[in-house]
Amino acid sequence: MKNMSVSLSARDMVKHYGGVVALSDADLDVRSGQVLAFIGANGSGKSTLCKIITGVVEPDAGRLSLDGERVTFPSPQVAKKQGIAAVYQELSLIPDMTVAENIWLTHEPLTGRLLVDSKSVEQKTRELLDLFSGTYSEGLEPGAPVSTLSPDERQIVEILKALSLNPRLMILDEATASLDAQQVDRLFSLIANWKEEGKAIVFVSHRMEEIMRIADCVSVLRNGETVKTSPIGDTDEEELVELMVGGTQAIPDQLDETLEPSEAAKRLAVSGLQTRVLKGIDLEVRDGELLGIGGLRGQGQSDLLLALFGVIPCSGRVVLSGAEVHFTHPRQAMSEGVALVPGDRATEGLLMRRSVLENLQLPSWQKYGFPLSMDKARRDANRVADTLNLVMAGLSAPVNSLSGGNAQKVVLGKWLLRDPKLLLLNDPTKGVDVGTKQEFYNLLAQLRREGTAIVFYSTDDQELLGLCDRVLVLRDGEVTAELSGSTLTHAELVRASMESNQGNGV
Amino acid sequence: MNDIRLKRLSLRHPYLFALFLLITALGVNLYVQPNLFSQRVLSGNMRIFLPLMFLSAGQAIVVVGGGIDLSMGAMVSMVNAILVTLITRESGTSDIVTGILAALGAGMVAGLANGLSVAYVRLQPIVTTYATSFIFSGIALWILPRPGGLLPSGMTELYRATPLGLPLALWIALLIGLVWVGARRTRYARFLFAVGGEPESAYATGVPVSLMRLSTYVIAGLLSSLSALALTLNTGTGDPRIGEAMTLTSIVAVVLGGTRLSGGQGGIIGTLMGVVVLGTIRNIISFANVPTWWQTLVDALIIVGALAGPGLIRLIRGGSEEA
Repeated sequence: MKNMSVSLSARDMVKHYGGVVALSDADLDVRSGQVLAFIGANGSGKSTLCKIITGVVEPDAGRLSLDGERVTFPSPQVAKKQGIAAVYQELSLIPDMTVAENIWLTHEPLTGRLLVDSKSVEQKTRELLDLFSGTYSEGLEPGAPVSTLSPDERQIVEILKALSLNPRLMILDEATASLDAQQVDRLFSLIANWKEEGKAIVFVSHRMEEIMRIADCVSVLRNGETVKTSPIGDTDEEELVELMVGGTQAIPDQLDETLEPSEAAKRLAVSGLQTRVLKGIDLEVRDGELLGIGGLRGQGQSDLLLALFGVIPCSGRVVLSGAEVHFTHPRQAMSEGVALVPGDRATEGLLMRRSVLENLQLPSWQKYGFPLSMDKARRDANRVADTLNLVMAGLSAPVNSLSGGNAQKVVLGKWLLRDPKLLLLNDPTKGVDVGTKQEFYNLLAQLRREGTAIVFYSTDDQELLGLCDRVLVLRDGEVTAELSGSTLTHAELVRASMESNQGNGV
Repeated sequence: MNDIRLKRLSLRHPYLFALFLLITALGVNLYVQPNLFSQRVLSGNMRIFLPLMFLSAGQAIVVVGGGIDLSMGAMVSMVNAILVTLITRESGTSDIVTGILAALGAGMVAGLANGLSVAYVRLQPIVTTYATSFIFSGIALWILPRPGGLLPSGMTELYRATPLGLPLALWIALLIGLVWVGARRTRYARFLFAVGGEPESAYATGVPVSLMRLSTYVIAGLLSSLSALALTLNTGTGDPRIGEAMTLTSIVAVVLGGTRLSGGQGGIIGTLMGVVVLGTIRNIISFANVPTWWQTLVDALIIVGALAGPGLIRLIRGGSEEA
């Protein structure tokens, strides 16, 4: 506590987004000279709490105190004035502005009262960049537009941008995710200096080893609730993973007698699949098999599904139903019996204002001739609606009149009408209520009995554990573990998602 | 690497393409009209270009800030009507000053209405300003139902003056450019580019996004007034439909000047060049004895090209990636 002191405490924080509860009862305490590791599984509400502290998001309830006094941060400007700065997971940089312009945005040094002092900006930017000297390419310099930098260099700029405010409290939200080992080392030695200066640091990370290395204290968040806060010395990795996971195993066990997948025909075999994000994926799915894809958000899972469906370009060998294919357009994938249920139903899955019938039949109209035989189309749509147990006012009701769960059923239904041989599911139960989820699981079980091969990406770990025969865990565009049978447990899944160097499975 | 250098160059000097067009167009114009740079022709041209320069400069600021203003032409009509109604052949100095101040104020109030709707009520800029353009046109017709009015000859003569041997309109055009170069170095400009480039990031960084958006429309309103003033000084009379066609032309000039319609990039220097290029093309067409509707076609083609450009480039790149 040489030249600054600060203490921040957030208590009983609550935040809802529509019907989804992001935070139910979250606490966080941090003070000068302390590094607080803030951890939790996917969707536990870490980012939401960070955004509340920086004034980007307003909480529905809860108390925030700074230096012992109660405060509210209605906008990012207010939090910033109090000396709170954040390095965001989704970067807050303007791509077409230069490194220097981005770092000093809103607090540019001025000459006189009006003009930005570009000399001083450039010099101060160089000083900041020197903190990371030797760990980045020569493309990173004050005048370079941010859009020309690599992801790790952008992350460095984002860190320096927060640092340029000389904050009292600094939040690092997944700041190490795109940095390499050398850059992480440099960041950690900087953090040690900041502690000396009296800054308080909140460190959000999924990498256990980093947390053990750098943190003084740790707070664990589970389902929007703080379940433990303690000095790091009083706990260990085992316990933390346990805490993040929780004792609950709420979701269905293996649904029923699995048909022996190893006997069934091989529907899909992929080897060395590469895209901009993926670094060589191998996988196999047999008829009637449900292959889970897990891991932290944004490790290339969506890319994998999109590449298989021909939406994004890829290289590598893809063998579908015994023949090698190379899809460059979803139409080709569709004609080979592949279907993709996308992640964002509002923008990718549905025409929200059009009717249920139109949405269900959108990929299948060509089956109904010219002029369209509407009777048949309606009959087929009704059949699927029955199978899905769709709750609706009628086939002509617009999709936006349905509940989230029922709307999601429509997305699935439109592909079921095409009798897919291979079904790709991109986090299909996001924001869907429990009852509908259950129906959805039953439907998947039925599809499996009928012999459909399914690749299922979910951010809900419990779903993967309950439904899948095998789960591939992705990290940084690579498969880090294949879990099945006795290794298919939540602890293993979390461990494989979070630990960087781990030789389990594969 | 080459790609990166090109990108940096185009971000730092967005007007380079416009400069190339400008030199080419002026060259052709000079060939068909050898006395192009004589004081008389230069002065005549600049008096015609200046109103559009003011208007396009305003449009450029709105576009860089991530919006668009389709009501600028209607604002010109409205302010033109106000000017010729308040100022008559016999007006004295005080009446003239009142008239001009009222005109400038009217433009800013109109811009404020646009800005509040877009920045705070959060309506779509295209729809909002298209709708308000009818309101402003209506006001123009209400004030001045049919063309008419006459300014004092002193005022129109002043606009034709040539201080230090160069036309007044040219001096003013240079001044617009200079003001922009200065403004480019202020914090306001940084905020403007940030808001147009990535509004969410700008907000998270603490840039007052709504206020910035509002300000761009108010500035556009003020510049519409100045445009109307220059136009009225040039014609000396009023016409409630005089600005109608100018909106589209101002957008074309902005695009020609190297400003991206999606915002966050570009500027006024290129826009001014864009105005001259358009005017010069118009000159060439009139000298080439082809029907004037060619001008409309050229304008339309430029807009289509500008809108389709990024998509076409991606298509070409994507194609080469496949190969």
